[in-house]
Amino acid sequence: MISRRDVIKWGAVAPAIAAGSQAAFAQAPQGLDAFMLDTRYVDSLPTEHAGIPAICFAGDVTKPWFDTLDPAWRQRGYVLGGITGSDALFVLQSLAQQQGRRVVSQTQLGEKDERGVYPVSWVIAPVHPSVTA
Amino acid sequence: MSVLPPDMDAAGFAAFLEELRGAVGADWVWSGDADMFPYRDSFSPVWNTDEERHASAAVAPENVEQVSAVVRIARKHRVPLYPISTGKNFGYGGPSPNVNGSVVLDLKRMNRVLEVNNERNYCLVEPGVSYFDLQRAVDETGNKVMLDCPDPGWGSPIGNSLERGVGYTMPHFRDHFGSHCGMEVVLPDGEIMRTGMGALPGSDTWHEYPYGFGPDPAGLFAQGNFGVVTKMGFRLMPMPEYYRTGLITVPRRRDFIKLVNHVNYLSDSGLIGEVEYGSALRALMGDRDFLALITKTGGPSDAEMDAAASAAGLPSWQVELQFFGPEKATLENWNYAKDRILSDIPGAAAVDGDHFTMPATEEQLNNTTQPWQTSIKRRRSLGVPSLGAWKIVRDDGHVGFFPVLPRTGEAVFEVQRVLGDAMKEFPSLPSYFNALSTPLFWHTHTFQMVFAPSIKHDDPEHNAITHASMKKCVAVAAEHGWGDYRAAPIYQDDVSDTYSFNNHILRRFHEQLKDSIDPDGIIAPGRGGIWPRRFRA
Repeated sequence: MISRRDVIKWGAVAPAIAAGSQAAFAQAPQGLDAFMLDTRYVDSLPTEHAGIPAICFAGDVTKPWFDTLDPAWRQRGYVLGGITGSDALFVLQSLAQQQGRRVVSQTQLGEKDERGVYPVSWVIAPVHPSVTA
Repeated sequence: MSVLPPDMDAAGFAAFLEELRGAVGADWVWSGDADMFPYRDSFSPVWNTDEERHASAAVAPENVEQVSAVVRIARKHRVPLYPISTGKNFGYGGPSPNVNGSVVLDLKRMNRVLEVNNERNYCLVEPGVSYFDLQRAVDETGNKVMLDCPDPGWGSPIGNSLERGVGYTMPHFRDHFGSHCGMEVVLPDGEIMRTGMGALPGSDTWHEYPYGFGPDPAGLFAQGNFGVVTKMGFRLMPMPEYYRTGLITVPRRRDFIKLVNHVNYLSDSGLIGEVEYGSALRALMGDRDFLALITKTGGPSDAEMDAAASAAGLPSWQVELQFFGPEKATLENWNYAKDRILSDIPGAAAVDGDHFTMPATEEQLNNTTQPWQTSIKRRRSLGVPSLGAWKIVRDDGHVGFFPVLPRTGEAVFEVQRVLGDAMKEFPSLPSYFNALSTPLFWHTHTFQMVFAPSIKHDDPEHNAITHASMKKCVAVAAEHGWGDYRAAPIYQDDVSDTYSFNNHILRRFHEQLKDSIDPDGIIAPGRGGIWPRRFRA
């Protein structure tokens, strides 16, 4: 289970990562199992940080969810941090709920665009006893 | 916002929940605001208003025996259940119930693909199976069949078909309820029933012959509230060898009438898959004068539209055709379609599109090489589940009104005019109905048109406009014989009211059935506009 300290730390560094700071990425917390980075809002970053994979996508979560998250979410554990559009977060949190997980932290990082979508940082963690580590 | 089931106090509710925990395990019963938030309709135009419908609790059984036990407990306590499969019915109510205080019967744990049969081309699934789950099972059995999935594909075959949802491949697979064959249902008294050949012990044709013997009640469980469907079979299309596309354009506005008739012929003959109607004139909608023309009260004349098309050097209409089958057959069918249409409509033109061996590669699925600006969403056209549709959702979601209309060009023109004029009452909404609005050819034998205004969680005034416009659309369309095919709980009574032949005999018949098997309204009271005696009072 991710610690509250790590959740807070992710919330603190996420805006800097979204602003393009690779140095901030190096400050990301260790309590996460993967990062989801939406390239509509985050410039390209290393594919991993301290052994934690960064999953990059451009708004459509289909492939990362189908290939990586869905299999991982069928197991216990797996804490995911992300900087994505709010539309992508909606999809991910809906899918996460189905598998005993919940958004435990989220912070809006910018203004809404003409479609009403905005960048947001978040953490999705297991909450149901069937999937908590 | 905590609510209680109808006619129940807090102590009774606690006792009821305790019995549920005994049936399914304490970890699989939820109540309280945090746990119930996901069961709200996040696309609701009545979000955070008194009209929003809230569930009191949720329960997730693991198998049909537990479903039966939950139904019996609910019957004993007279608590309404609201069954959901994956709860992704967004735009039509999501997971939220018709009646405040209902308990969501969340079937997500029943997520087994029980069979994929590649020789007889069917599958058998449980309610919690999503199209993605089914795709995985198809992949694991050699990719010999092709799905027909909605867009996005995170819903379940059972939930989508029971809502009479649609897909985008060949005609007889696009109607998802129409392509089902055989179901298992837990009735309101907890009994387990199988339809069709499933009623015959030892039969191996449950998913090939839907009727069995005697009346077939399967239709009662679509958009109905007569039981909880726990298994369904679906026909699957053998993976086609080849896929081909082509574009036909026609120059004049009235050419649309002939074009539609030709496409109807091609579709009903089994020569084409789903089509995408469109107009190149949409490129002119940024021009204020042109926008005024196509949204003019009473509609523009044919001459005005033809003059605009001629001045722009653009055809009035187009249709994108899709062909499935052996390579030679797809080529011959495309050549036949071209000959048929171009020889009948002066000035019609054809463009050859992408064609390739199936299954498609990732690059082909990305659909970037068509020689025209395509409206085809390639993944869904090839039955590949996707979540990409969410990139086109505006604001916090939308609600949907998709009236059913005749498959004629004349009907399309009439809808453009009638609903275009009616919606002028709501000038802040986008123009869904104008002289360029084209029909959706989703269901096998009918047209629909789209009205899907957005909602915003932080803008109740915007939502109130959306809500009022939905009700007006339902009413005005019905005055012209165009009925909605599917609706969120907050609109189901409005829509049901419009199907009023012979003093609402259809609804009265449904109510008689409901009263006889579920008078206390244990299964989804109000769903489909069907209320049992207890709630009619």
